[in-house]
Amino acid sequence: MLKKIKDLCQIPAVSGGEEKVRAYLIKKIEGKADHEVDALGNLIVYKKGKKAAKNKVMLAAHMDEIGLIINLINDEGFLKFIKVGGIDTAVLLGRSVEIGDKAVKGVIGVKPIHLLKEEEKHTFPEDGELYIDIGAKSREDALKHVSLGDLAVLESQPTEFGTSLLKARALDDRAGCALLLHMIEQESQYDLTFAFTVQEEVGLRGAKTAAWALEPDYALVVEATTAADIAGVEAEKEVCSLGKGAVVSFMDRATVYDREMYKKAFELAEKHGIKIQPKAAVAGGNDAGAIHSAGGGAKTLAISLPCRYLHSASSTIDKNDLEEVYKLIVKLGEYYAND
Amino acid sequence: MQKHQQLKSSLFKLAQADGMPGAETTAAEVAKGELEKFMQVEKDVLGNVVGKIGGKGPHILLDAHLDQIGLIVTAIDEKGFIRFDRCGGADVRVLPAHEVLVWGEKTLYGLVCSMPPHLTKAESAGKAKPADELAIDVGMDKKSLSKIVKPGDRISLKGPQGELLGGRVFSPTLDDRAGVASVLRCLEILKDKEHGCRLTVLFSTQEETSGSGAKVASYKAEADEAIAVDVSFACAPGLLKEKCADLGGGTMVGVAPTLDRGMSKDLINLAQRENIPYQVEVMGGRTGTNADSIQNSGKGLKMALLSLPLRNMHTAVEVADLEDIESTARLMAAYILERGQENA
Repeated sequence: MLKKIKDLCQIPAVSGGEEKVRAYLIKKIEGKADHEVDALGNLIVYKKGKKAAKNKVMLAAHMDEIGLIINLINDEGFLKFIKVGGIDTAVLLGRSVEIGDKAVKGVIGVKPIHLLKEEEKHTFPEDGELYIDIGAKSREDALKHVSLGDLAVLESQPTEFGTSLLKARALDDRAGCALLLHMIEQESQYDLTFAFTVQEEVGLRGAKTAAWALEPDYALVVEATTAADIAGVEAEKEVCSLGKGAVVSFMDRATVYDREMYKKAFELAEKHGIKIQPKAAVAGGNDAGAIHSAGGGAKTLAISLPCRYLHSASSTIDKNDLEEVYKLIVKLGEYYAND
Repeated sequence: MQKHQQLKSSLFKLAQADGMPGAETTAAEVAKGELEKFMQVEKDVLGNVVGKIGGKGPHILLDAHLDQIGLIVTAIDEKGFIRFDRCGGADVRVLPAHEVLVWGEKTLYGLVCSMPPHLTKAESAGKAKPADELAIDVGMDKKSLSKIVKPGDRISLKGPQGELLGGRVFSPTLDDRAGVASVLRCLEILKDKEHGCRLTVLFSTQEETSGSGAKVASYKAEADEAIAVDVSFACAPGLLKEKCADLGGGTMVGVAPTLDRGMSKDLINLAQRENIPYQVEVMGGRTGTNADSIQNSGKGLKMALLSLPLRNMHTAVEVADLEDIESTARLMAAYILERGQENA
């Protein structure tokens, strides 16, 4: 499981350019389940269980990640970009990036602190001032290596540290992809449907068409969500904590979750000794927003890994939480398939 | 870029070893090992690495500083997060979610805490927190962490090294390992040449905080003249043309009231004569480098400054051009040969 996560997190797949993650998943899935790819690029997997399911349960995780898209190359050979998805400038400044299919190296420039006015020292530059330096000496030089529209990701090596933590880029939501992949590779009690979606970070675009086509009765969205259990944050504002198990949402900025499913998750967790915690804030949003309201609607729940420093190249999970989330989605899948 | 492969690997090796102000040991050992290929080397009370070659000609001191900007542990909080302050001029804007190494009893990997955009309030958007409001996550509880990390331990910014187009490279700590690399390259050029000068090579400590290393070592050296090699600003978007030099445009010869005008002129003339790419860097008083403390140490000496154009100074992605390191080394070597011949 850990190897799958590390592999998946190293594949660049900014929204709209998910093909390499999809290819990795298809390679792993082939022979174990049927699959198809829809018009947007969602990967749909039909897993046969020992028994037919009474209800159609769809499990979803998104393949895309936040990143950058090159929108201008200036005369001096510097690249300008647009942020794809929600990214703070702080996690971009002074970082190295890889651009396009050839993984051209670049760095995001920073005006040296020595030349900043006092107020600039504590103010982030405007988005329009940000640029990537690939070492090119002119526009012409740069164009030999990059093109407008190229996607870029922050460079980040998966790193295990501390007692049980793992840092990697794109844990949101490759961790979810790895959990679902692992589930597909095991025997299943009932038939299940899996959707590896595209374009979550730019407005839950893929999940909408996938859910419309699949018309699930129940949907389980497997995600990585914001843990604020960090220095200086009061306990009641931590949202969720690393090491405390699967995070279940009652409401976020995109979805009011099915109340019965929320309660059922806690009930099943207690019954099977699974660590579980609520997402104790109404914040963020995920594919559930599109899935619960697609077509005739579906009862939907989001189960997440608590993740620190989300939407940076340093997103961090506790390895122990993986097992808890995995057990919970398996139990929920079985329960709703046969309810 | 095959041209400067050896220079690149030497630079990356020097830059990989961390050395924060007052705690330069790791970087010092690597630099000392390289310098010993050319001369007898010792470390002094402040940790400076000092090498000497005897000669009957003028006594010339070459300086590049060893230390890099970093952070320093102030406390460990109840949740096991490390609180810190700056140790040298780190830019707090780049810190959130940055990878770091904490140099305690063991070296620990860590991340600077940051709040994701999903949870930040509109009023705090666009504003960077000061260092004393940030913290480092090493994934441990207070009790076990306190056995490994103590207040005063140094922290370095971690980042990958890599190559950009056209012989340009990025790495943490190029300020001033690029300078150290150019001094070593200069010694390589001089290796089989008779110049007759007496040389003191100083890889100095604590430049980023006080300049104390260079001050003490140059006092003891009592050289006749000195060349400091440091980094300066390479042009990039948002910088005024008069505040920066072209990356890849050649070594920057400093001209300033505190630098010896004769030496600056000699260096410029030599660069022209030897076809060494150069640029002139004009400053209005002090230089903000070790040149300031060396010139004025003890009875004083004639001072020159060569600078390497560098982008993104004081971040983990400092960008330098190998060609500039080479031209700095060549000009230094040409100067030493010239001074030796004058006295032959």
